Amino acid sequence: MLQFDQVSKSYPGGFVALDRISFRLEKGEMAFLTGHSGAGKSTLLKLISLIERPSAGRVLINDIELSRIKRSQIPYVRRDVGIIFQNHRLLMNHTVFDNVALPLVIEGFTGKEMVKRVHAALDKVGLLDKVRCLPATLSGGEQQRVGIARAVVNKPPLLLADEPTGNLDPDLSKDTMRIFEAFNQVGVSVLVATHDLGLVARMKYRTLTLKQGRMINDGLLQYQEPV
Amino acid sequence: MSILFTGRATGAAAKKIGLMRRFIMFWLNHARQAVASLGELWRTPSASVLTIAVLGVSLTLPATLHLLVKNMQQISSSFTQAAEISLYIREQTPDNQVQSLVTILQADPAIAQVIFVSKQDAMTEFQQLSGFGAALNYLETNPLPDLVRVLPKNTEPQAAQALLQRLSSERIVEVAKLDIDWLTRLNAIVSMLQQAVAIIALLLLSAVLLIIGNTIRLSIMNKKDEIEVMKLVGATDAFIQRPFLYTGVWFGIFGGLLAFLVVEMMLWWLQSAISNVTALYQSDFSLQAMSFSEFLTLLLIAVMLGLMGSYLSVRRHISAIEPTGP
Repeated sequence: MLQFDQVSKSYPGGFVALDRISFRLEKGEMAFLTGHSGAGKSTLLKLISLIERPSAGRVLINDIELSRIKRSQIPYVRRDVGIIFQNHRLLMNHTVFDNVALPLVIEGFTGKEMVKRVHAALDKVGLLDKVRCLPATLSGGEQQRVGIARAVVNKPPLLLADEPTGNLDPDLSKDTMRIFEAFNQVGVSVLVATHDLGLVARMKYRTLTLKQGRMINDGLLQYQEPV
Repeated sequence: MSILFTGRATGAAAKKIGLMRRFIMFWLNHARQAVASLGELWRTPSASVLTIAVLGVSLTLPATLHLLVKNMQQISSSFTQAAEISLYIREQTPDNQVQSLVTILQADPAIAQVIFVSKQDAMTEFQQLSGFGAALNYLETNPLPDLVRVLPKNTEPQAAQALLQRLSSERIVEVAKLDIDWLTRLNAIVSMLQQAVAIIALLLLSAVLLIIGNTIRLSIMNKKDEIEVMKLVGATDAFIQRPFLYTGVWFGIFGGLLAFLVVEMMLWWLQSAISNVTALYQSDFSLQAMSFSEFLTLLLIAVMLGLMGSYLSVRRHISAIEPTGP
């Protein structure tokens, strides 16, 4: 599904954000991406969503090299990848419905089909009763879930999440992770970037750990109770 | 269309819908976006009204100048007498020769009208208009010649001049006169005015283009975050720019309508003043308003400018906005 092959990314000025990263995420697999701030998590996600291009190496989604994607094709690639943002990036002057419907409108859906899908997505995150609300009237956790609904509404085969629990309390974080698990169980590949190591360890999924741009761990993370 | 996952049905294309229905949906979508853009203008009334007012005023000036030229042309074409040729008949020409000349001229294909003024008629007219009145009675003989006034069909200066040459060679014609200089001058002035109007119109229309471009640029900058989000969830530039293009079109429509209203009001205001002036000149001049086709042209120009202005702005600025991070 998703493959990194000796990928490096350095920024002008010589800062190396990613250093020869290689890993492979299978279809229907769920994994965490952890590391301290500045370890390169965001850069890695940016390479997948084509916000940035790698300096060296290859990024492949479904065995298609992203370097072959032309600028004009980027929007179509992003439609195949659902992205959940840390600051959820909702359109604050549009209703929850409009926000979730946005990817569908972009793809040309109209009428009943669109309404059906939006309601289904909102139902999955438990926000069906907030469909006519403005995002500003929702709590942080609810806003995050609207963001999730928007990411999954057009049923992308690959789901990326950048610090989805960054602003949430432990209970809400756990709920959010449960939602990702539910998507994973219906066959969606999920990659969650987070620095919430405790949560990651409890969830018992494959964990990729970055440190200063290098991959230092790929596998289950051993959870240590803080002393 | 999915590039990465062949066979992944995405979007409306995933559903098998007929060509006809898709065609209808295409226009329906456009209509919906047009209305949405209108709603957007409605929600920011003060800014929209200001922009529309500026556009209206900028379009009013070229429209007014156009009407000015149009009315000038009407006036100048009503001065066909200017190309009137006066043939002064030699003294002591027998009446029957004069009459036969008049008959010949009336049959001439280059001549529209022939008016014969006998020396008696001329004297009576002179007595009435000159103010000498009774003093003229002391003249023993009538010094005025017989006069034939000829109105050429073609009032162009050159054609009138040619006719003048021909008529002055008639045997019984002593002098043929054509007041042609001021006609050429008037024509020159009208064409100069036309060119001046064209230049001013061009300048003002480019101002309209820039105003719309700048307004759209500001509204793109205002929506930078929204545009970034749309790009992140896979919107193409074409999709993002469409509402802005419609906004430009709406600006054009409203600006054009406003200009039309202002011009109409101005005409209404000037109507009585102008009729006072024309009454003094005993002219049947009536102020020409904007015709329907001119109104449509004005609106079309305004809409095209709106579309072009927003397109120039949108092309540059929307592709420049790139999302910076998830």
